[in-house]
Amino acid sequence: MFFDLNFPVHHPQHSAAQNVSKKNKGKQPQQPNDVSYSPAQLSAIETRLDLLVHLGYTVIALNQTVQSVVNPKSHVNILDPLLAQLRPRQGIVLLKRLTIVLDQDSEKGFGLTPANAALFKPYDLISLVPTTLATFSLACLTHSQPSALTAHIISLPLTLRLDFRLKHTLVRTALKHGVVFEITYVGALGGENDTTLTDAGAAESGALAKRNWWATAKEVTRVTKGKGLIISSGVVAEADFRAAKDVANLVTLLGLPQEASHSATTKIPKSLVLRAQTRQTYRAVFSDPVLVIPEGATPAAQPPATTSESMPAPAQAKVAGNGNEKKRAREEDGEDGAAASSSKNKNSNNAGTGPNSNAEGSSRKKKRKKNNQEAQ
Amino acid sequence: MVRFKNRWLLVELIPAPQTPSSAAPARLDGQKIWASLKQSIITNFGDVGWGSVGLSMSVKYYSPTTNICIIRVARDHHKIAWGALTLLTAIEGTRYIPNVVHLSGTVKHTQLAAVAHNRAVIARIRAQAKTPSGYQDSYEEYLKTSAMEIEALQD
Repeated sequence: MFFDLNFPVHHPQHSAAQNVSKKNKGKQPQQPNDVSYSPAQLSAIETRLDLLVHLGYTVIALNQTVQSVVNPKSHVNILDPLLAQLRPRQGIVLLKRLTIVLDQDSEKGFGLTPANAALFKPYDLISLVPTTLATFSLACLTHSQPSALTAHIISLPLTLRLDFRLKHTLVRTALKHGVVFEITYVGALGGENDTTLTDAGAAESGALAKRNWWATAKEVTRVTKGKGLIISSGVVAEADFRAAKDVANLVTLLGLPQEASHSATTKIPKSLVLRAQTRQTYRAVFSDPVLVIPEGATPAAQPPATTSESMPAPAQAKVAGNGNEKKRAREEDGEDGAAASSSKNKNSNNAGTGPNSNAEGSSRKKKRKKNNQEAQ
Repeated sequence: MVRFKNRWLLVELIPAPQTPSSAAPARLDGQKIWASLKQSIITNFGDVGWGSVGLSMSVKYYSPTTNICIIRVARDHHKIAWGALTLLTAIEGTRYIPNVVHLSGTVKHTQLAAVAHNRAVIARIRAQAKTPSGYQDSYEEYLKTSAMEIEALQD
């Protein structure tokens, strides 16, 4: 299972409506609100997806890039209408990703706040591209905390000469919180970058870009030690796509051991996608607590409809075991339909004790309090 | 003992979609591929890279019908050659996407993989053309001759 988590998609009307006036310099160019893809644009995206599928990729994340600040008034979700119009492909998973390029204007705040949470809900993955030290520490410390707005991917601009050091402590904190660092291979080929990135000054193309890519990518692999690394394409021109094994070999040349570069293309993005689903849960907890009655504890003669006071405290291990079970079931079902499968599991577990869960739960709480007092 | 070990790369060179204004893609052969790969190694890995890989690198087989190419490199530094192949963008002016389908240490498994790949490509072409199953087309002849050529390769 190979992942390409950076498939740049542009606003279909953006290039036509772009005004080059000096007034707009440095600010987010105005994006028109209507998002309609012409048949030519759609067929171009379809052929690129076909090529990716031919090269062996099964999970592809469409990436919308935003510069500096996410403005709730002018932000347009260009991916939802696109997904509605794409041809359904069997066995291929398409995800939605939002990338925010952080520069000096975003140091004070760029819209990734609980107030704008509704804007970020439709996206499966959020990523940040820091270009200064202040934004890098913001991304590693503040925005890696588990919440509904965690930016799970930090994508450093590899084709630039970074003027700040990647501090090991910041990187370590980010990795501990489950954040992943991204390497895009388009810079190694000297290929064309996403225009929004180039406009924001976060990417270059040409011979100098290739040298910067090798230097910066080596630095990123050294600092992360290959642990929280994913590799993705970021490719705009079709001729720059490469198969997953070729890209893994390329990353081996950066000094990463072969096993680490293979897991950077398979295991790590897979766990990232699953972890990113926790943005839809409370405080990054995967499974909701489920009431479990151990088999031998309740006497068989007792009808399940009565609320008995001799409710045994459910074993903690069983609950944890059940949580694992549910996690496995969720993984088997695939990335979609996770919520549906978890609710199904809950219902089947509570089949015998459904109507009583509230009463038994409260008596269980009382029991725990009693146990605590005894312990003290 | 101290045996000389090789790596056999089975590469599919996918022609990238061209703009209609550019000239028709030139006919490729083994020599042109070798020359482009050599240039890519020298550009990306310098004289050191070429020196470590150049003597042992050879293009053993190329089929224009299915765009399949078999390259043999010494095992010690085959990653440099493989990396340069990935960073190769164009051969004789036309853009290609090099896709390494199979990598093995002996020619036997490369031959099996090459024959299987040719059959898969021909099957895809036939499925797209929707030819009926009993129909004898020229691809049958091609499959036989290409299988013979591939089996004739030696270590």
